[in-house]
This record gives sequence, structure tokens and C-alpha cells, in this order.
Amino acid sequence: MTTARLLWVGWLMQMKMLARSSFNTLLGIVYPLFFATVAFFMFRAGDDPKPLLYASLGAAVMGIWGATSTAAGGSLAQQRWHGTLELLVAAPAHFALILLPTTIAMATIGIYSMASTLLWGWLVFGIDVQIGDPLAFLIAVPATVISIGALGFLLAIAFVRFRQAWALGNMLEYPVWLVSGFLVPLTLFPGWVLPISWALAPTWGIDAIRGAALGGSPWEDIAMALALGAGYVAIGVLLVQRTLRAARTKGTLALS
Amino acid sequence: MTSARVFFFGGIASYRALFGWLSPWVFIPSLLVAPVFQILLFVYIGRSAQLESDEFYVIGNAIQYAAIPCLFAMTHLIAGERFQQTLGYILITPARRLPLFLGRALPVVVNGFFVAAFSLVVGGAIVGMQVPASAWGPIALATAVSAFSCTGLGLVNAGLGFVVRETSVLSNIIFGLLLVFTGANVPVDQLPRWMQIVSEGMPFTHGIEAVRRLADGGALADVWGLIGLEALIGVVYGAGGYALIRAMEVVGRRHATLERA
Amino acid sequence: MGCLTRLGRVNVVEAIDLRRTYKTTTGTIRRRSLEVEAVRGVSFEIAEGELFGLLGPNGAGKTTTIKMLITLLIPTSGSARVLGHDVVQDARWVRKHIGYVFGGDRGLYERLSALDNLRYFAELYAVEPRGQRARIDELLELVGLKGREKERVEGYSRGMRQRLHIARGLLHDPPVVFLDEPTIGVDPVGARELRATIASLTAAGKTVLLTTHYMFEADALCDRIAVIANGEIVAQGTPAQLKAGVADGSVVEVELFGVEEDRVERVRTLDGVRTATLEDRDQKQLLIVQTAPGLELTHAILSQLNGASIGRVSSREPTLEDAYVQLVTSA
Repeated sequence: MTTARLLWVGWLMQMKMLARSSFNTLLGIVYPLFFATVAFFMFRAGDDPKPLLYASLGAAVMGIWGATSTAAGGSLAQQRWHGTLELLVAAPAHFALILLPTTIAMATIGIYSMASTLLWGWLVFGIDVQIGDPLAFLIAVPATVISIGALGFLLAIAFVRFRQAWALGNMLEYPVWLVSGFLVPLTLFPGWVLPISWALAPTWGIDAIRGAALGGSPWEDIAMALALGAGYVAIGVLLVQRTLRAARTKGTLALS
Repeated sequence: MTSARVFFFGGIASYRALFGWLSPWVFIPSLLVAPVFQILLFVYIGRSAQLESDEFYVIGNAIQYAAIPCLFAMTHLIAGERFQQTLGYILITPARRLPLFLGRALPVVVNGFFVAAFSLVVGGAIVGMQVPASAWGPIALATAVSAFSCTGLGLVNAGLGFVVRETSVLSNIIFGLLLVFTGANVPVDQLPRWMQIVSEGMPFTHGIEAVRRLADGGALADVWGLIGLEALIGVVYGAGGYALIRAMEVVGRRHATLERA
Repeated sequence: MGCLTRLGRVNVVEAIDLRRTYKTTTGTIRRRSLEVEAVRGVSFEIAEGELFGLLGPNGAGKTTTIKMLITLLIPTSGSARVLGHDVVQDARWVRKHIGYVFGGDRGLYERLSALDNLRYFAELYAVEPRGQRARIDELLELVGLKGREKERVEGYSRGMRQRLHIARGLLHDPPVVFLDEPTIGVDPVGARELRATIASLTAAGKTVLLTTHYMFEADALCDRIAVIANGEIVAQGTPAQLKAGVADGSVVEVELFGVEEDRVERVRTLDGVRTATLEDRDQKQLLIVQTAPGLELTHAILSQLNGASIGRVSSREPTLEDAYVQLVTSA
């Protein structure tokens, strides 16, 4: 029960903080629209509406990863700078349970950009996205958000030792957009890329969301996304122990 | 200090002082790795949508990405000086303003050129882009001029930074506008008329076109006009940005807002 | 619980020969690594209900010591126990039973209200959900922030932040509280109120470790003090015991206007002079000379200063501040 409460309160507090920052809200909503606009122009060339629908949903989910990658990468460095990191480490609660809800909140903010991208596509490019299976869609989206949040959690702890960790998170924005197949079918990639795509939860998430909207069973994809998310959390928890121990030995928790 | 010294040493010193870009942990991920992936992203979208050649996207994105150093570096330099409360000191030195600011702009232009050139070469190598050997010199020129013109826009951005609180929001939006309007990924002639008009006045539009023609085997003589236009755009934005900053300086002196609280 | 001392008192906090070395690198191209010994063999014990002060100048190793005790730093060697549990092996247990408060503007979530900050930390410290609201109210009352808890922390003054820090450190009602320079940068009135709050903690039965570089603060609040300088404890005892260490001498104070260090050096070399320190006081300098008992050294001192502009000259009893200076400068 305490674990659930801790996750809930952590998520809520982080959402409050993110929602009060114009950088996260305004930019998070507007920035993906530029990429979406380019994608829409590129996919509009033919007469077939299907590529545009495909692109619209893909571009929408790009915003969720965009909201997470840089923010998650830099979150611990930012906490260190604010002097709150050592407070979190000094608390008795397990550090993973403190960090995970923050990255899930970052991914949750991405829903704003998902909505704005779909709206933009509809208003400006006339892309009418009909949700074929609303129930599946309503499950696929949170599942994607949670699994992307879990991936952000893994990034945050993996990069904690780097003062400029935001740059490393930022560096991963494009690669995941590329290989998760948001706007590019995986069939176009050389074979060695596919295992990387499959190891990324966003790949399954976008498949689930497209399946729920455009027809096709999303349930296996949802399960894979959540399973991978659980895997990221497991690896992250192991890393937390090692990393915090190293930080306490080297004395790098508080240095700003 | 003579104007020349102000130009060179003042510029480099302030660049290093205010800019963590020189840390390899930021430089490599943000300025070397990211643009290559932006290129790959649009190359593959292009292949998926079956539109232009790979080369088209390599050139367009390599040059467009120079906006990151050009915009952010320029804006940070000015905003950073405000934050560290050194802007007031710099503006009251007897050094002449123009070499001062141009000196600060030069490392930014060099940085932008280097980033664009790097991703052009690496991105081109990945997709197997064929460029005639004689074209590389003119391509370098066109790229450098493009970096120059975007740095001019960066100066405007820096001036706007006096009023806008979150400068990185503005910089990112300008980056997005450059992605859409400059023909980096969508040929300008396929854009709606009003967007084409905007394109004409943006940095990169002419530079990208020039590099594309050069890579296709065009001669320098063919693209002089484009390069010239690009340079002119840079001068206009640069002058506008400089004027804006001077105006802000006056306002700042009157209202004591020169330093950020 | 804690460990019994010979006197039968319970030791709540024990530091046993704590050492902490930092490795830093200098230079960008050719990196050299340096080893800095921040704490070199610090040992002390704090009994239950005691208000113990760790007093020393900046850079002496106070913060490093306290961070080892609160499990944020692993000692390079030596050990520490809180309530009988080792701070490294039983870190989680220790964290549940201690509160940590540090000074400064940082350490709070700016965009959240004070109330939200406390609710969050209450959750991290597993404060009973049903009792959280009441506990938070109680603490806001205690630190004097009631009525302003819904405002965002970004608008708080330094003093208010400090009080919020204290409230945060006490959420889970820990028996041991560690305060790192809690009144630093706070205005005098606010600081006095904070000290009253700190004193009330031991009145309530808690054990408190306080680090500070303000001598009068340590003198006023602490039952016992350990003076730390350059990573080592140079003296331990009650304020009275520390004063006794210098009580058998006297202090000559000379007001000066622009004297050079070499003259001060000559004063130091006089027989019977224990320490001589030069302090800046706006336009003037104050030379404080501690002398051995039974000697009248005023003339000797003044003759060494011959040629310098001299203002008032006075002679007085030593205070805890003088004891502190003597201990710290001889380290």
C-alpha cells in the first residue's frame, strides 16, 4: 500500500511542477508540431490517405518520447543542482520508487503534445483519425506512457554520474524516433537494427496505438510494451543500488 | 584594446567563459551525434514516402542543424552575460560596440560551420552520397555563409531574449521554423505560396539550395547569386539584432533591467 | 538502542576515527589527480538528549563529517553508529530514525507550495497517511509558517526556507536530528527564533548534532562542543571547559589603521604571546593578542607595532571566541 501511495504522490507532485513550467508545457506542445508538419508534407504527396493516418499517430507519440528523453536524462543533475538529490537519497524510501514516478510524469506530460499533434493534423491537414477500438486505445496510450516513463527511469539512473546528462538524454531523442518506427516502417531498416527496435518499448507502444486506432489487435503489443517497461525498471533498480553506492563513495551527490 | 583585439580575444574568451559547449560530454552528443540522426531520420522518412533522393535530406538537415549552435550559442552569450551581470560592464567599456559583438559572433559562426560540415560529410558517407571533388570548396563556402546568416538570426534571438523570459523556448521554436520553412525536407516549391514567401527571407533557404546544386555538379558561378542572397540575409538579421540589442541596452539603462534579477 | 558508556549514559551517536578523502582532478588537458583529506580521524560521542555542537571554520570538515553520519557519504575509513546501527551497513534503518536539516536556499521544490513539499517528504519518510495532515499542521505551527503554507517556495525568504527545512526534517519525529549550519544567512531576529526552536528539540527529548561556525551560537545552545579544524578535532568539552583552556590568560586588543603582516609576525614571536590575529573591521583593523597568565605585555606589543597608527588599546578576559581562535589557529 505504501508503495502505491508513494508512486502516486511522487507522480502527482512531479506533474504539478512540470505543468507550472512554460518550457515543458508550451514547448512540449509546440515543438513536436514542427516535425509533424514536415512529416505531413512528406506523406501527403500521394493520394492514399493511409500514410497520413500512419504518420499522424506516429508523430503524436513522438511527443511522448520527446517530453521524456531530455528531461529524464537531466532530471537527477537538476535535482543535484537544486540540492534536493541528497534529500531524496537520505530518505528511507527506496530511491527507485522516488525516481520512477518522476519519469512517468514526464511521459504523461507528453500526452498534451500527442493531443496537439492529432488536433493539428486534423485542423491543418485534414487528417481524420478515427479510433477503431476506443477501449484498446484508452489502454494502449497509458501503457505506452508508462513504458516510456520506465525507459526514462533507466536513462536517468544510467546517466546520473554525468553532470551534463541532459545532453546524453537529448542525444537519444532522434534515434528512438527513428528506430521505433514512429514514421518509418521497420521493414526499411537493415536487419541488425531490428533487435534494437524490438528492445525499445516505444516500438510496441506505437504499434499498439496504431492497432487500436486503425484496426489490428493491439493486445500483444501492449503486453510487450509493459513487459519491456518492467524489464527497464528491474535493470534500473539494480543500477540504483550500484550507482548510489558509488556516489556515496566518491562524494558526488551534492556537487553542483 | 584595439578593435581587432577586442574582436578576436574578447570573443573567444567570452565564448569559453559562458559556454559549456566545449565540454565533450555536450559537444559530441548534441552537436555531432544528434545531427547525424536527424539526417538519418529524414532520409528514412523520405525513403518511406518515396520522395526526394537521400542526398536531398542529407544536405538539407546538415545545414539546418547548424541552427543549434548558431542560435543557442549566440543567445546564450548575450543572455549569459546578463545572468552573470557582466553585460553592463561590457557595454560601458570604451571598446567600440561593433567589433565587440562581431567578435562574439565569430566563434559562433565557426562552430555552426563545423557542425554542418561534419554532419554533411558523415551523413553523406552513410548514404553513399557522391559529390564531385571540385565541389567541396564551394560547398564549404556556401555552408559557412549559411552559418553566418543564421548567426545573424541568433543575434535577433538574443535581442528578443531581453524581453522573453525563457530564451530556450524561443530558440527551439525558431529551430522548428527553420526545419519547416527552409526547404530542408520539403522542396520550397511544394510549399503553399505564403510559406514560400517566408522561406525567401529565412537563413538557410538559399544556402541549402546552393549546396544541393553544387553537389549535383553545378559550378560556383551558378550559385553565386544564392550565396550572395544568403550573405545579405545574414547581414540584415545581424544588423537588426545588433540594433535591437543596442535599443534594449538603452531601455535597460533607463529601467535598470540590463541585468537579470 | 545506543551503546552504554562507562558512566551508564546511552550513546546515541558515535563517530570512531572517521576519515574521508576526496580525489579531485585539476586541469583540462593534462589531468592531475589530487587527494584531499577532508576529515582525518574524527571521533566523538553524543549522549541521549544532548545538544552537541561541531564548531569550526569553513572548510574544516564539518559538513563532510555530518554527511558521513547521515549516510550520504561512505567514510574512507573508520566507522560511525547511530542508535547502535552502523551508518554504512544499516543505512536504511539509520535513515528512518534521523532527521537532516541543512542551511541555504536550496533543497526545496521551488514550484511547489510549502504544504506540497511537506506532503511529498512525509510520503518519502513513510509518515502514517492518516496522521500526515495533523503532523504537518503541528510542524507548520512549530516553525511559524502557519498561514503561508500554500504559497510556492520560490517566493520564500531565506529565513522561511530555513524554517521549512526544519519542519521537513522533523516530519517523521526522528529521535536524532542533524543540523548543518541551520542559521547561515538568516537575519538576526529570524536566527534567534530558529535557535529557540532548536533548543526546544532537546527539551522534547531529541538528540541533536549542530554544525556551525558561529561561536556564540555554539556557546548559547550546546551542551558540549567539539572544535574541528583542518579535518581534526582540536578540542572537546562543555563551553565552560573550553573557556577554561584560555581563562588563565588575558587578551589585549589593539585598534590599528593599516598595519602590515610582518609587524603582526613580530608580535607573535614575543615571549608569552599565545596567538595574535588580525581582523578587519571596516576601516580599521583589530589585533587580538592572547597572552599567558601573569604577564603584562601591552608595552611590549605596542613597541613591536611602533610606527603604525594606533587607536584604542584594551585588555580583557578571554571569551569562548578567543578559545576557539587559539584552538583553530594552532591546528
